[in-house]
This record gives sequence, structure tokens and C-alpha cells, in this order.
Amino acid sequence: MADMHPIQVTELSKQFPRKRKLGSIHAVSDISFNVKQGEIVGFIGHNGAGKTTTIKCILGLLKPSEGSISLWGNAPADSRVRKRLGYIPENPDYDNSFTPMEYLNMFASMRGLSGTWNDWKKLLSRVGLARWETTGIKQFSKGMKQRMSLAIALQSNPDLLVLDEPTGGLDPIARKEFREIILEENTRGASVFLSSHILSDVETICHRAVILSGGRLVAENSMEKLLGEENLYRITVISRKDGTEVEEIIPEADLQSRIDSLRRDNIRIIRVEAAIKSLEEVFLAATGGGEPQ
Amino acid sequence: MRAVYTFSLMTLHMLFRRRTLWGILLVILIALAGIASVPSFDVSNQGRFVLDFGLFGIELGSLLLALGLAANLYPRDKETRTLMPLVAVPLSRWQYLLGRFFGAAIVQAAALLVTCLGLMLILLFHKLPVPGDLLPATLLIIVEGWFLLSTVFFFSFFASPPLNWPLTTMLFIVSQMSVSEFTGLLPSAPGLMRVLRMILPHADVFHIKDPIAHGFSIEPVYFLIAVFYGLCYSAFMLSLALAVFRGRDLK
Repeated sequence: MADMHPIQVTELSKQFPRKRKLGSIHAVSDISFNVKQGEIVGFIGHNGAGKTTTIKCILGLLKPSEGSISLWGNAPADSRVRKRLGYIPENPDYDNSFTPMEYLNMFASMRGLSGTWNDWKKLLSRVGLARWETTGIKQFSKGMKQRMSLAIALQSNPDLLVLDEPTGGLDPIARKEFREIILEENTRGASVFLSSHILSDVETICHRAVILSGGRLVAENSMEKLLGEENLYRITVISRKDGTEVEEIIPEADLQSRIDSLRRDNIRIIRVEAAIKSLEEVFLAATGGGEPQ
Repeated sequence: MRAVYTFSLMTLHMLFRRRTLWGILLVILIALAGIASVPSFDVSNQGRFVLDFGLFGIELGSLLLALGLAANLYPRDKETRTLMPLVAVPLSRWQYLLGRFFGAAIVQAAALLVTCLGLMLILLFHKLPVPGDLLPATLLIIVEGWFLLSTVFFFSFFASPPLNWPLTTMLFIVSQMSVSEFTGLLPSAPGLMRVLRMILPHADVFHIKDPIAHGFSIEPVYFLIAVFYGLCYSAFMLSLALAVFRGRDLK
């Protein structure tokens, strides 16, 4: 049933009143998409595209102006739903007077979990905070706070992970570790909704992507379809006019005939290679250059 | 309720680790030290004077503690974004509000009891009589403090801390006024002012320092009714606070 998707967003719009001005700002306009069971869905868009607004609506932190959101067919505020959720906020912060272990213990108690000190120790070790379990969060860098967020999000073995720019403050090695953890969680059975500016992360781990621009949904499809269903090839030849290299991209079906025709015309072929479209190219094409609208 | 209990403990720990609480306690201790110096002056009815002053200090302390502990809790949680992971997943908004309230209420009550103990020690040190109703009087001030705390929470959901202080202080002053004093603020509309006074809280019911200073005892029934009134008004203010909080978008 469509209603039982971990996330179902239907015709969502969110407007904010302008400060000291008439009218309102349309942060998100009439967007619909879903996250199916076991999927990793990337949520991409430029700054101000409405990604965080959408995520906050999904989590019940913002009330939709129009449209509806359901998590497994229930309202986001439903306590049964929230128990199945893990969330990493954008730029997470925690009370500086606590240590990660204290935080995990308190969150576990608030969630009604029955973990032990050793369980949380293993969890902190998994996210790369093994040596910092009793260090005050006051001393944590942005990246360490993001690791801390990941630990809290994973603590309840959630069925759905909602991640808002989770790798923004991480170095490349930490990003790789983070991607591995997300894939492990997905293998365990968790669905993942990942908002990110780092398109290579989305391209690497997501099954599907939803692209937002100016608060509107401009593309949504599986990664294979977004990046091109058919195999494309790039042929590089030497121009007879000025001797420069010229590239041509053609589908696999036309490849042989095109090579034959180039040879017949005595045009020198330099290279023939698979032309792989990147998510960045797709994103730029879908958002009209990626500029805020 | 387990989530509320844990979050109250978390608030309790946090408040003890912050400097605000110790700053307020320092002010109260300085006030107590001032009271302690009174018996060295030649004042008639020194015991009554010290008791009156001491209970007034505890009452003022309850206002200062309510403001110092709670005015900045929600705005700070929102500004530092510590609110998001809490309210998005493990806690409902009512659990957040009650957890913060109970945590702050316990700290406030403990601080006021310590101040009461300090007053008792001052009286004993100067060989002045310690009235049996000093503790009930302090308990009533604690209940008043909880009412003030719930008021501070209510204002904190739509007013910044610098605005919360005068708003709560104004309500505190108004709640001490008698009907005639309040009506005197706008003599042209006595009917309206009388109705308003009925609706607004009556914090004067918590003040039994004068009878105690004059050696009168307090009826248990009066004490229980005053406590019940204070708890009901606190619950009402918290309900209003929750209604405002529930309606807010957490950007």
C-alpha cells in the first residue's frame, strides 16, 4: 500500500510570513514524493531550495501550509512513528555540560531503550568516538558533533533515518566511514532519506534522488534513470577544419555505424569511451545551473 | 512519564552545571548575610524584623530564581539548536515542557529550602525564636515560585529573555495587589478592573510572613487551599504555555 511507505509527502506546501512586509515566502510549493521500504533516497537542491523545510515538516517540527505527510501511514507526531525514527539535524549541537555517554544514556532512557554502558560504548566506537566517551561535548569539533548525532540517530536501530546534511563537517575519510554505516543500516533494513550538498555521496549510496529547486520538485527518479538508462559513448576525433579535438556523444546502438562513417570520411578517431553522466550534470541541468531561483 | 522524568533529571544536571544558578544563590546568600547583620543593630523586636526580612528575601529569591533559571531555557535551546534532536525524535512538546519545568522547579525549591535553612541558622545563632510555621511559610513561597516559573515558561515561548523579565515582574507585582489597589490603577473602569483582578493570580495568598512574624499560627486548611490554588494556577499557566508552544513552527 502506498500509504504504508516510510515517508509519503503529498502536495506539500510551506509558506512563512515575511518579517515587517506583507505577503509570505513560499519555501516549498506543491511537492510530492515518497521513500519506499528499504530505499536510500537522496534529497538534493541548492541553498534555500527548501530541503530543510521539507525535512522539518516530515519530522513535525513545522506545520505544512498545505498538503499532507505521513510516516508509515501515520501523522509525524504519532509517538509510535517517532520510536522508529532516527534523525540527524543540520549543524547539530548539544548541551555542552554533558559527555557523549551521558547523552546516550539519557536519550536511551527517554526512548525507553534498555541498552547498557557497553552497548553505548560499542556504538560510540562504531561512529569513531571511542576515545571521547567521557569527554565534555564542549571540546567537540563540528565533525565530532556530527558523529555524536549519528550515534544518537542509530541508538534505537531505527527503521527510518532522516539525515539533513550529515556529512557537511566531515573529512573525506570520515565521510567514507559515514557512507559505509548508512549502507550497513540499509542492509539491516532501514530506509534512509538523505539530504546532502555532496552529490558524490548521493550518487554513491542512493537508489533514488529527488531534486528540488526554488521550493519545487524538478526531478525525481532512480539513480540509473537520472544518470541515463542507455549506455552512451563519447567519440573524440580530430577536426579537419582546425585540427582540434572534437567530442561527440552517441548511444551504443549507433556506435558502430558512426565509427564506420567517420572512417569512410577519413576522420581520425582519437578515443572511443563510455560516457558516464554525473549526478552533478543532471543536477545542474534540472535546476537550470543550480542557481537559487 | 519516563521520558519526562529523565528529561527533568537532564535539566536538573544542566542547571547545576551552569553558572546562572550559583550566581543567583550568591545574591541570596549576600541578602542573608545582610539579614544576619540586623541583630547587631539596636532594633526593637529584632526577631520579628529578621523573620520579616528573611521571608521577604526568600520570596524575592523565588522570583529571581524563576527568571534566572527558566527565562533563557527555551530561547537558548532554540538558538543553539539543541531543541531539534530532542523534539524531533524522543520527546513530544508537552514532555519537553514538563521536563524542563520539573527540572527547574526542583532546583528552585532546593535553593529556597537552603535559604530557609540559612534563615533558621541566623535566628538560632542570634538566640532568636524560630517559629514553627517558618517551614510552611517557605513551602508556600516555593509554590508561589512554581507559579512564577510556569509564568516565565509561558512568556518564554513568545518573548525574548530581556522582555520576559519585566513581563513576569509586572505580573508578580500585580498579583500582590489588593482589589482596591488594582482598581486604583484605572479608576474610570472599576468594574473591568475588578473582573481583571479576579482572573489574574492572587499571589498574596502565599504570604504569611506577617502573621508568622507576629506569632500567629497558620491553619492547616488555609495552607492546603493555598497550595492547591498555587498548583492549579501553575497548571493553568503551563497549559497556556503548551498551547503557544504547540502552535509554533520550529524553524
